[in-house]
Amino acid sequence: MQVYLPIAEMSVDALLLLGIGFGVGWLSGLFGVGGGFLLTPLLMLIGIPSAVAVASAANQTLGASISGLIAQWRRGNVDWRMGLTLFAGGLLGSALGVQIFALLKRWGQVDVAVSLFYVVILGIVGALMVRESVTALLRRRRGAAPRRKLHEHTWLHGLPYKMRFRDSRLYISVIPPLAIGFGIGLLSAIMGVGGGFMLVPAMIYILGMPTAIVIGTSLFQVVFVSANVTLLQAWQVGSVDIVLTLLLLAGGVAGAQFGAAMGTKLRGEETRALLGLLVLSVAFGLAWNLVQTPSRAFTLGPLS
Amino acid sequence: MKALACALMLIGLLMAPAAVVAAPITAELSTDRVEISTGFTGASVLVFGATQNPLSGESAEDLIIVATGPTQGVVVRRKINVLGIWLNGPSTRFPEVPGFYALAATRRVWEILPEEERRQYRLGFDNLRLRSEDNRNPSFRAALLELKQNDGRWQEYAAPVSRAGERLFSARIAFPATVQTGDYQIEVLLARENRVIARQELSLRVERVGTAADIASLARGQPLLYGLLCIVLAALAGWLGSVLFRRN
Repeated sequence: MQVYLPIAEMSVDALLLLGIGFGVGWLSGLFGVGGGFLLTPLLMLIGIPSAVAVASAANQTLGASISGLIAQWRRGNVDWRMGLTLFAGGLLGSALGVQIFALLKRWGQVDVAVSLFYVVILGIVGALMVRESVTALLRRRRGAAPRRKLHEHTWLHGLPYKMRFRDSRLYISVIPPLAIGFGIGLLSAIMGVGGGFMLVPAMIYILGMPTAIVIGTSLFQVVFVSANVTLLQAWQVGSVDIVLTLLLLAGGVAGAQFGAAMGTKLRGEETRALLGLLVLSVAFGLAWNLVQTPSRAFTLGPLS
Repeated sequence: MKALACALMLIGLLMAPAAVVAAPITAELSTDRVEISTGFTGASVLVFGATQNPLSGESAEDLIIVATGPTQGVVVRRKINVLGIWLNGPSTRFPEVPGFYALAATRRVWEILPEEERRQYRLGFDNLRLRSEDNRNPSFRAALLELKQNDGRWQEYAAPVSRAGERLFSARIAFPATVQTGDYQIEVLLARENRVIARQELSLRVERVGTAADIASLARGQPLLYGLLCIVLAALAGWLGSVLFRRN
């Protein structure tokens, strides 16, 4: 069943979009990430212009994450204070990101830039996740119960403007969460992702937040940052395709619930190792596309 | 309904005695509107009509049908390899190229008309005026032709001009799903002995209708409102989904 996308100005198989939405939603429920990092490359792969793919994926991430956020909020796993602090940074970051995106579009380098961002970010994050979770798995196998401190004390804890985040059991400076929020907001605007896959490790390893609260709080930031990205992309770039978004969401919300149900049966380390592997494989796929000799030496674009 | 109307018109044309057909050529379109709705997957428009003199047999008359869409500006970029990565390198801008171009004829146009005539009526890819702004490299022009042909927006002899009886002709123009909106000109030329002896111009409008049109015009006209709407709709859909599909 073909459906015409009014902003992308092309028609695509609706079932394909529903299927992509379901698959990505399932993973998003399983891992507690928005899944935008999979969605954008997949959309570009089926021929959606990268500008529309990025903007609509951000829009879909918003919808897909809201069900997760509601679920986490019901279980009391959201640190509102931390979420708002991250979001404050994210607001600035995404505003800057959309400007950069509009500039890249004018230069005709959106495709390459988006792919490059994906390869670098996903490569680093994926490698870190796999390494960490494999280490944790091995340690558990050896049976040595590690005496874990609540979190490591680093130079980050010497920064000023300390604030108490009771739900996260932290008393830290607001600068690291603001900076993390900013960075993720920036990348989220350029890559069309909510940023959960970067936010989750950043919250665990940099901020030292307890794992139980991380997913809910990251969803909070993801929902609001992707709302901001949607608004700015629609306003300044004009590339949000609501028909595309809604089709992806229809599949996505169904998938997310199945994923979430399955996610509760998996252990933390295994989930992180799987997510890490997934992130790495997407990075490799995109890197391959960048270095492979293109099938066509020329591309066509509209004159702006 | 449209098909029936066309059939009736064809019959009417067929029945009319030759003397009544005053013009050497009479042509019509199966529709003067192509509507892009949410289910749009491309469209095909039939150009049909009759000529005064018989087309087949000993007659040396030829028919050429050329459809052109609104002009647009395009950039052709060449990929270059920088440090192992392929990115968009040098580019050439073509400020005015037809967004759509389709040519159909009873024979190849170079067999019908001399070059000046072909140039005047822009018949064939060679005679399209593709003025580029900066780079004079002909490979960009070739690439533009190739890319436009690949997505079906430029066609040369893609469909035949088919003849029925002695005087009736018809040809199909296929518009791909990516067709742009605007006014399209369809020119029907009758040629004999190396020159055009009659021509008729028809016009066609491609426009968005229904939801697709509303969405596109809202997104363009009031992007801020549209953005807010996207947020609300996505959030609602997400929330609704979490209620509908909750498992436990």
